[in-house]
Amino acid sequence: MAGEYEQDAVPIGAIRLEAATRSFNVQVDSGRTLKELLLRREHRGGPEAVPALRGVDLTIDPGETVAIVGRNGAGKSSTLRVLAGIVPLDSGRVRIGGQVAALLDLAAGFSRDFSGRENILMGGALYGLTRRQVEERLEDMIAFSELGEFVDLPLKAYSSGMLVRLAFAIVAFLDADVLLIDEVLAVGDGAFQRKCEERIAAQVASGSTLVLVSHDLALIERTCARTVLLDSGRVAADGPTAQVLSEYRHLLSGEAAPVRGTNHPAEVAAAAAAAGGGAEPPSDHEEPA
Amino acid sequence: MSSTSLTRVSDLRGHGFLFQQLVQRELRQKYQGSVLGLVWYLVNPMLLLGAYYLMFGVVLKPGFQHPAYPLFIMSAMVVWLLVSQTLPAAGDSLLAQAALLRKARFPREIIPTAVVTVQAMTFLALMGIVAVLTVAIRGTLDWPLLLLPVATVLLLLFVQGLALAISGLHAHFRDVGPIVGAILVPWFFVTPIFYRPSDITDQPFARAALEWGNPVAPFAESFRTILYDGAAPSAGAMAYMVLATVVALGGGWLIFRRLQRDLAVML
Repeated sequence: MAGEYEQDAVPIGAIRLEAATRSFNVQVDSGRTLKELLLRREHRGGPEAVPALRGVDLTIDPGETVAIVGRNGAGKSSTLRVLAGIVPLDSGRVRIGGQVAALLDLAAGFSRDFSGRENILMGGALYGLTRRQVEERLEDMIAFSELGEFVDLPLKAYSSGMLVRLAFAIVAFLDADVLLIDEVLAVGDGAFQRKCEERIAAQVASGSTLVLVSHDLALIERTCARTVLLDSGRVAADGPTAQVLSEYRHLLSGEAAPVRGTNHPAEVAAAAAAAGGGAEPPSDHEEPA
Repeated sequence: MSSTSLTRVSDLRGHGFLFQQLVQRELRQKYQGSVLGLVWYLVNPMLLLGAYYLMFGVVLKPGFQHPAYPLFIMSAMVVWLLVSQTLPAAGDSLLAQAALLRKARFPREIIPTAVVTVQAMTFLALMGIVAVLTVAIRGTLDWPLLLLPVATVLLLLFVQGLALAISGLHAHFRDVGPIVGAILVPWFFVTPIFYRPSDITDQPFARAALEWGNPVAPFAESFRTILYDGAAPSAGAMAYMVLATVVALGGGWLIFRRLQRDLAVML
């Protein structure tokens, strides 16, 4: 049974994740061809499906600031993508109230041939804004991005720092009820980072909910009141930031340093195999209609 | 459970600006930096029409005759141009916009629909030119012209259905695009464009196969019947077009719905 994604079934700014389960088929990434489909039975190299989330429950109330921590492959990014509605669940349920804005992958969605201004229009459109709504915010976004006259040049001409500023400016001024941010704040220079933090704080002060995935524990301590620790696709700890972070530090020091790198599913598979845990059948929490 | 269909409708309404942006981008990106810009959208089909006329009307001299032969070809060719340009473009559309798919949640069908819309705009412009020319020169200004909008709407929905199916399938199985490209070549020749089935065969079975075995044929024939002959398409042809549209749109929708779920993960 496929998981459900419902918008506006809970109060504005609230997040409810129930028994969220999701696996990734590693072979999917390679792009299937008809030949592979026809010869599927002979095609078995590596794990079929790597579990990323194994029954995650999360209840976040409007206006909360929540960090998600965990080692690589623990399911942090998957959780954000599920909350953003980009990755559907295998089973379980996501309910989110109000508008969601996600800053997941900086370059994603930008066209290098179009100007910063045009990319802002497209960015706003992607999140379901009308032309009028984007135009109302356009000047704020441009000012925040500090792009100056570059805003009318194609993105080809931008430095990576400028791309970061543009991406952040769009998401930060969408006035979304739920902000999902993955690790990107570390990219800009110090001054811009502080500006981003201030902007996020202002958003939170006006009632938005923040979910932040980061490895920057100092940033988490500054920004988030609550922290959720994920481990192998499950919630290992959930509580006040100071408490959970000390638990997390303990977890990190207790084991070999985690490999810093991508969250590639193969890594997850290796970690799962090392932990001796096979894939468990997803728990089906179907609620009566 | 959740009112899925209702959600979808409101999603589409909420993403009107996104649709508009995608159409604009599609229009501009294609010929950005070119001097003639959007004019290329009309120049290419016109050149193609000219080449086919030269080939089949002047050089090869077929054994059948139709007065105002260029109009005879053009009035059916516009249909073929829409089909043959939209299907490959739709096949690539989801891959081309993979970055957008990974960024936010929006109804995925907006992407192939934007591609169809751009092609439909070209089609309408070209068809307008062909219709005015044909009707003026052939003197076919009569009531069957009223059926032209009906046939146009059916054709566009038919193509939209095929585009949904092909875009979804190609995103999953990358052979689909090349297969479509390969099929289009023979498909052109079995579609009655520079001939009528009765021109090239007397065998009833072969004629029926040419007329009904190819879902594009009734559309091409109907446009020609309305514009070039100034007559109404047969009831059979109209029924066939309605049926083909319903099947293409329904099938395309089902295929797309089934295949769109994991697009952000697999592209």
